[in-house]
Amino acid sequence: MVLDPETVKPSKYERFRIETKPTPHVYQIPNKFDVSARKVRLAAMLVREAFQFKLNKEVVLSRPCIYGVFGGRFGGFKPLKHKCVGCMRCVQEYPHIMTVKHSDSYKRLGDSFWTPEAVFTIWNEASTGKIPVKGMGYKGAFGGEGFDGIWTDMSEIVRPTRDGVYGREYISTSVDVGRKPTSVDFSKIDRSSPTITIPVPIIFDKLPAGSGDVRAAVGIAAEKLGTFYVSRQRTPFDFGPASLIPVGDEESIQELVERPSAIVEYDAEKSDLFEKLAGALPSSIVIARVPLREDAGMVACKLTRQGVHGLHLYGDYHGQDYSKEPKHISASLKEVHQQLVKEGLRDQVTIIASGGITLAEHVPKAIICGADLVGIDTTILVALQSEFRGETRDRANCQMKPRKIDPEWGAQRLVNLFGVWHDQLIEILSAMGMRDVRRLRGDIGRSMMDAELREQSFKGIAWAT
Amino acid sequence: MGNLELIVEKHSERIHHGIEVLPSLRHGLPEGLGNKRWTAELILATYEMALTGDLPKNGLEYRTGNSGGGFDVLGWKNNGFARIDQESVDLSIPLNKREDGKKITIPLPIYGGGMSFGSISLNFMLARARAAKRLDTFMSTGEGGYPDEIVPYRDHVITQVATGMFGVREETIQYAPIVEFKYAQGAKPGLGGHLLADKVTSEVAKMRESSMFTSLYSPFPFHSVYSVEDHKKHVDWIKTVNPRALVSVKVSTPTDVDMVAIGSYYAGANIIHIDGGYGGTGAAPEIAKKNIAMPIEYAIPKVHDYLVSEGVRDDVVLIASGGIRTADDIAKAIALGADGCVVATAEAVAVGCTHCGNCERGRGCQVGITTTDPELSRFIDPEWGETRIVNLFTAWSKRLRSILAGFGLESVRDLRGRRDLLVRYK
Ligand code: SF4
Ligand code: SF4
Repeated sequence: MVLDPETVKPSKYERFRIETKPTPHVYQIPNKFDVSARKVRLAAMLVREAFQFKLNKEVVLSRPCIYGVFGGRFGGFKPLKHKCVGCMRCVQEYPHIMTVKHSDSYKRLGDSFWTPEAVFTIWNEASTGKIPVKGMGYKGAFGGEGFDGIWTDMSEIVRPTRDGVYGREYISTSVDVGRKPTSVDFSKIDRSSPTITIPVPIIFDKLPAGSGDVRAAVGIAAEKLGTFYVSRQRTPFDFGPASLIPVGDEESIQELVERPSAIVEYDAEKSDLFEKLAGALPSSIVIARVPLREDAGMVACKLTRQGVHGLHLYGDYHGQDYSKEPKHISASLKEVHQQLVKEGLRDQVTIIASGGITLAEHVPKAIICGADLVGIDTTILVALQSEFRGETRDRANCQMKPRKIDPEWGAQRLVNLFGVWHDQLIEILSAMGMRDVRRLRGDIGRSMMDAELREQSFKGIAWAT
Repeated sequence: MGNLELIVEKHSERIHHGIEVLPSLRHGLPEGLGNKRWTAELILATYEMALTGDLPKNGLEYRTGNSGGGFDVLGWKNNGFARIDQESVDLSIPLNKREDGKKITIPLPIYGGGMSFGSISLNFMLARARAAKRLDTFMSTGEGGYPDEIVPYRDHVITQVATGMFGVREETIQYAPIVEFKYAQGAKPGLGGHLLADKVTSEVAKMRESSMFTSLYSPFPFHSVYSVEDHKKHVDWIKTVNPRALVSVKVSTPTDVDMVAIGSYYAGANIIHIDGGYGGTGAAPEIAKKNIAMPIEYAIPKVHDYLVSEGVRDDVVLIASGGIRTADDIAKAIALGADGCVVATAEAVAVGCTHCGNCERGRGCQVGITTTDPELSRFIDPEWGETRIVNLFTAWSKRLRSILAGFGLESVRDLRGRRDLLVRYK
């Protein structure tokens, strides 16, 4: 058959992509490096070089820095510190004159959980929309606790061809939110609960602190990204109302009925609202918020049997659960997931995990531990240049203060963050030869745990005395 | 001499002088230098060894970094052994343990890893090739092709065949005593290579038979290899083009790295080269370096033990790379089960690398290592670079001999798999 180009309709297919664009910081960020020159020695060096190169200005004034730190009017006497990338060439060339170190304001960034490096990573991702790339290998600590103690797998040869961010075959990062019945009951087909597909397995969770601007930025970004944001605020905002996940309680049911949302959450710890909410909002997905602690697996099984459509399991903002002896949410998530699997319930509910999801790599790792998708919280505020005022761990008393922002600027920063995290998720999936993030859920076999590998590989090696 | 010449000479001399002076600590330990894996002390100690050919004498820590795991929490047992004369210790290892094929032995358990033309400067590549020749060992071309300038060193150059097939030609296969298939690399396990457009100068484009200033991607994986049988076809292809060549298979460290290793062995590999997730020199997404694939310290025992249990350990050479920074790391890797190691970053540090990670920024490396900038590249004079790399490996050989002599071992081959000689620190 010969196709007539006149009659062939253009495909409506659009490959999923997130439109990132440079969105510079509006509040000045600390210089990462502090560059200083001993001024007398610098002057002496200039005089010496003036003699050595016979006053050849171009040679005498050629600087050791290829990043323009000494390119200002006063050269090394007043370095343009914000341009320094810490390459150390000036120190190599003039060790008796130059000092380069991490600045005090950089070292003070964050809190006991948010390292300066992590804050800078989020700032860069939100402002550039580009994946962080560096040369010469890894520079950080070996393995560690929580998500740091997990490595993801890769596939050498036997695998589907990769997509990578450069695009060949498509890798899906979409996930479904909602209850999935294990069988179809045709008599109840009209009443089966809905599911919603979101293109990236990330939602915005409740903010610890927020101004109207910040909430507006989150709403706009959620709508642009096709994802959702959780808010205790009952009145839908002007921005992204369709993307709102309100947190319902006894008093707000009527309001929720008047302005129904596609997804609602409720605090399962405070009330047993599922029946009421599901009855009043038959077309909404009802998700129970459950704190991660010793009994979370049991609670999750009970709620799933009761019929909830999803579970939002959360730890504190530092990624620790609420057990008497707190452990990282990666461990408690695994326990809940495994208990649901054991009871034959896991495939029926969606699990959202939040608390301490602060870097791109935490998304696939939380999914490997059993979540379907994650919620981010303090990360939103960091991307929007909020101020650290102390420890951010406590959900009820998080010491982070939002700054005044333009909601459109804020929304683009969050879109950039999602774009970069999406690309990094694809890097992880493509290395594993996986074409769908849904396949990653609970697939612990495609991960490697520091603690386990250490015991296997170093077995028989005696402890030093 | 024109101004450009004077400027290059001025900075080149200053950098070289600086890296000679800094290890003396006369100006203190530079605060902004280094990181947990390559600490400031380790970088300065490497500068010092590259200068003197000896171990640092001023107390600089030259054995370990500060990463809190892996090699950095392993040490040596220190009692109950009869020390032997360290001059009598043999550091040589064979690179072909199969019955057929050419027998190649290198005098120290180290050779240079793949760093491609384009990602590094030609001068640095030449320095490495010259050092490999002087040390009677090897260096690998990486995947960027085989510049004419390194042909004189071809008896010490491994031709790498990677998925982009850049510069892979009949003659470059025929030059090679060893051909290395790069299935994956530790810097970006499971991800392809990516050379940013800025680095694709006319010379690089010519070498890679591509267009100037256009980003180049090496796909992942080999699209002609989806099984061990396919891999065998690859090996056969090389053996047909160059029957004398030994075949090395470079893979990363997935959960089933032991299976990959045994598959490579049965496909005919002489060398199984495992490249751990924390290493690598090429620019790579940070997420890949930190999170994908297991560190080499955990992969070596897994592969070694499996090859032993399959009864083939003595028929194949196991080479480890990816985060090998010091002579102690090499000895620990061997004690964990490797035959020898491949290093690359340490060679870069020997010629002034600060492990700053800015290799892909702007004009590339500020001291001329990972750059194609014509001015910056000239900071590394190949002869100077050769001497520094030879000195570093000479100092490492002394340390290796000292470790082995302390255990009364006459050959580095006797250290393989001797985990009983290691201790763990909390
Ligand atoms: S450390 Fe590098 S970037 Fe910073 S001022 Fe010195 S030469 Fe410039
Ligand atoms: S830019 Fe140069 S000095 Fe810095 S890590 Fe790369 S090679 Fe080393």
